[in-house]
Amino acid sequence: MNVKNKVLRGCGSAAVAFGAASAMLPAQAFADEGSGVAAILPQMDEFIPMLVAFIILWIILAKFGWPLFEGMLVKRETTIKDALEQSENARVESERVLAEYKRQLEETKAQSAQIIADAKKTGEAVKADITAKAQAEAAGMIEKAHAAIEADKKAAIAELQGSVADLSVAVASRLIGEDLNDDEHRKIIERYVNEAGSFNAN
Amino acid sequence: MPTNRHVQKEKVATYASVLLDAALAAGGQDAVLEVRDQAERIIRIMRSNMDLSSSLQDSSYTPEQRNSLARNVFAQAHPVLIDVLAVMAERGDFALLSRVWESYGEQVERKLNVTVVDVTTVVPLDDHLREVITKKSEADLGTKVVLRESIDKSLIGGILMSANGKRIDASMTSQLEAARNVLKHSTDGGEC
Repeated sequence: MNVKNKVLRGCGSAAVAFGAASAMLPAQAFADEGSGVAAILPQMDEFIPMLVAFIILWIILAKFGWPLFEGMLVKRETTIKDALEQSENARVESERVLAEYKRQLEETKAQSAQIIADAKKTGEAVKADITAKAQAEAAGMIEKAHAAIEADKKAAIAELQGSVADLSVAVASRLIGEDLNDDEHRKIIERYVNEAGSFNAN
Repeated sequence: MPTNRHVQKEKVATYASVLLDAALAAGGQDAVLEVRDQAERIIRIMRSNMDLSSSLQDSSYTPEQRNSLARNVFAQAHPVLIDVLAVMAERGDFALLSRVWESYGEQVERKLNVTVVDVTTVVPLDDHLREVITKKSEADLGTKVVLRESIDKSLIGGILMSANGKRIDASMTSQLEAARNVLKHSTDGGEC
């Protein structure tokens, strides 16, 4: 890599030096134009000074100009490389963050689904509990109502029985007391005495 | 050593024995039964009149005052009974009268072999009924029987007999009351 850079650096310096020499001595290099092949060949007396000048220029540029130019290139290269690294890092970071966001999103979705499922489950349980309680309360109320109705019914029947019994006894008492004469009373007494239990039985 | 209960029992038996002997000597069996009836009425009076009962037992009076009070209050009773009641009041034993009456009845039955049967009916008994009741009672009690008759219209009908604390209730009132209870408390047939 370093060799390649040096070669490139040397070619670059030579091209710069050749250009600079051509710019300084254009009139002498092509002052005497001949004919034929000679027309395209340089004159030695002109070529040598130009070559020397070129070499000197090349050396000067290689010694002083090229390091500055190279520093600028290196700096530029470093800047671009840093920028690329930063952008790469940013991309990696953004991908990581994106993955993290995606993961969190999935977790959130899963949690949401779990929460919804739990809420649904809890709702079902509460619904079942409320329904069971309502049914139990309704059954209790019905049972109490039945018991109350039964008690009222029994009380009414007992009251009716009592009233009928009192009325029957009252009617019987009046009939017996008013309708029986003394002889009939005596016949009843005799029958009762014969049917009654013994003193010893008490 | 005799306990207070034994002393009381002896005292009751003595009063009853004295009363029976005196009544028997004074007028035979009729007098004995008359004394018994009068004593029973006096006991009822004493239970209904607490002032008289407490006065005859009041220790703030002297024995002579209690004796005099008893003689004046029961002046219409049989003389034998008056004497015994006066002595009981004088000695502060008037509260024992009901027990003396019970002991008197037992001694009458034991000494005279006679049991007094109280018979309560709605109409007066005729001779036939007396004979039927007497035979039944004698068969049950194993002694001679003397009927003490009384009329109570509240029985409605039938008969109520009692002797020696035992009781046969064959009255219409009790039978109607039993029928009333059966009607009131029977549950079968009440379901609709």
